[in-house]
Amino acid sequence: MIKKILPYLLLIPTFVIIALFIYYPAYESFSSSFYRISVFGNRKIFVGFQNYLNLFQDKDYINAISFTVVYTSITVVASIFISFFLALLLDQKVPGARIYRTLIFAPYAVSHAVAGALWSFLLNPVVGHVNYLSRILFGIQTQWLTTRPYAAYSLFFASIWKTLPFNVIFYLAALQSISSEVIEASIIDGASSWTRVWKVVFPLVSPITFYLVIMSIISSMFQSFAIIDVMTKGGPGGYTTNMIYKLFMDGFRFQKTGLAAAENVILFLIMMVVTVIYFTFAQKKVHYQ
Amino acid sequence: MKKILVFVVLVFTILSFAKTKIQFWHAMGGWRIEVIQNMVNEFMKLNPDIEVEVQYVGSYEEILAKTVAAVQAGTPPHVVQLNEISTQKMVDSGVIVPVQDLVDKDPSFDVGLFLPQVLNYYRVGGKIYSMPWNTSTPLLYYNKSLFKEVGLDPNNPPRTYSELIEACKKLVKKDDKGNIIRTGITWPLYAWFFEQYMALQNQPLVDNNNGRTAKATKVVFNNQAALNFMNLWNTLTKEGLMINTKRADWTAARQLFISQTVGMLISSTSDVALLINESAKQGFELGTAFLPLPDGTARGGVIVGGGSLWIIKQKNPAEVDAAWKLVKYLAEPEPQIIWHKSTGYFPIRVDAIQKLQVQGYYKDNPHHLTAILQLLTSVQNYNTNGAIIGAFPEVRNAIDTATEKMISGTLTPKQALDEAEKNANKAIKEYF
Repeated sequence: MIKKILPYLLLIPTFVIIALFIYYPAYESFSSSFYRISVFGNRKIFVGFQNYLNLFQDKDYINAISFTVVYTSITVVASIFISFFLALLLDQKVPGARIYRTLIFAPYAVSHAVAGALWSFLLNPVVGHVNYLSRILFGIQTQWLTTRPYAAYSLFFASIWKTLPFNVIFYLAALQSISSEVIEASIIDGASSWTRVWKVVFPLVSPITFYLVIMSIISSMFQSFAIIDVMTKGGPGGYTTNMIYKLFMDGFRFQKTGLAAAENVILFLIMMVVTVIYFTFAQKKVHYQ
Repeated sequence: MKKILVFVVLVFTILSFAKTKIQFWHAMGGWRIEVIQNMVNEFMKLNPDIEVEVQYVGSYEEILAKTVAAVQAGTPPHVVQLNEISTQKMVDSGVIVPVQDLVDKDPSFDVGLFLPQVLNYYRVGGKIYSMPWNTSTPLLYYNKSLFKEVGLDPNNPPRTYSELIEACKKLVKKDDKGNIIRTGITWPLYAWFFEQYMALQNQPLVDNNNGRTAKATKVVFNNQAALNFMNLWNTLTKEGLMINTKRADWTAARQLFISQTVGMLISSTSDVALLINESAKQGFELGTAFLPLPDGTARGGVIVGGGSLWIIKQKNPAEVDAAWKLVKYLAEPEPQIIWHKSTGYFPIRVDAIQKLQVQGYYKDNPHHLTAILQLLTSVQNYNTNGAIIGAFPEVRNAIDTATEKMISGTLTPKQALDEAEKNANKAIKEYF
């Protein structure tokens, strides 16, 4: 009898914490999305689906959705491929490989906000290093953070730079676990290094790619507001506002709790659909050893 | 029995020594953190029974967001500093103690000594809801040394838009590749300046007398006065006479002026002290002037901006009393003078200004004087008292977004105003 109950008893603390800090807030946010809520939350009116209707009639929100799609796909695809190649390079036995590794992992240690601030300094049109160099070398000056389309380019670049190390660490670990026999066999069979990378190595690390893609999507959909807030403030003219930044503005700058909750639910639904589709289709291509 | 008596006496002694603890949240970063801490330390010396925890919480927006969270969690801070545009929101909130209620109960406090220009902003429906504290207006800063260099009269700063454009054209300097390395002017991309230019032309921002006789129902800025300002902004940008910075990036705008990349800057009077120091370090002579006006318009006035101190409702009335003592102290002449000298924010009281005047302070500090004179010479009516709108942050956002679209070339000034009007009206309608 005790043996049967014991596992559940041991699980209780975890369940309590999950229920308190995940399920309850999630439920609150879901129910809030059907209300208009005053600034301090002391008055609320039930409005049904009005918050959702308002959002989908709002041109700015539609723009935010499309920018989210562009931003997420570019940063995720670029960061996956670049990190795979960087990991391949770092896996080589070259002198000083450890130093390179440390340098490449460094961005992982800084927060999104700090990364944004760093790039803001570098891209500052007047005293920034990027413009200083481009002025000396090519005689051109660009307003990186305040003009179209450069604001978006700067943001892509900084976000990729920020998410890269995390992916590199995982790829590197995966690469080091590939047995040398497989590689040797492919060399003996006469595969070129290009074929070897794509037909042998990449499929072997596919479980990691599978994991990293979903993690990167989550990170760029849910954690990018800090970097956007620091670098572009969603501008110019709402051009670099994505869904999570819009949510942050509506929820924490304009105190429209109900509307922000609705945005939250929409994000949740999108993420759920993406995950389900991804798991059904992509998992078939994943090769587990 | 004796033991019980000793115990009771002991408890009472401990209680009488117990301090009332209150929290004070402010948004004044940098060197001002220390200035405020020193002022509060002085207060605690005078009131040993009160312990004040001072916290620099971040921007005004951050303070509001955190106050909302703290109030909902049941642990509200006692005194919070919020910006002027939060006024209507806090009046509607139901979580504050109106300062007027405390003033009425406290005979030692004389509101009559406050500058009417400042009080008029914070008085809503005849009642003062928060204690005006850090008060500023926009000011034109210019680089006298650069003016001399390019042949402009350093003692005759531009007073109209056309004079401003002329001065900017003269300040432009290009390198041999044709890149602009120095230009005319900058100001932070922030709708506050838009509001100021409405008031300067004696125009309201919203209906119902700027939201002061009844709640505002729509914006009324889509007119010639606003177009004057937007056209100026557009022209200066298109012709490379102005550098635009990221939204609300005051630091970047100041930096452009300090590094002498631009010859003029429109910024808050709260930057006076900082710019005096920095210009001395960079070795150029600083000038200050009233804001230039569109040609042929009569001068209305500037609106006070900045922040005020709000007292949040507490379960324990002793804490509200302690909070009121702190707020009252911070508005007294001595702290106000310290605050004015170390930042450039105005003293909000007539007696503080008189004291400084008698000491000859304004003779030695002409820039602080320009700042005050611009406010004192402002016409006083609903237009220059400033608008109060519940959805003010959204209205500012609407104006800023439209402005960004205008300066990036997507919208004309008129289209930008149309869009700002539409989005601002929507926000006002949705405010709850």
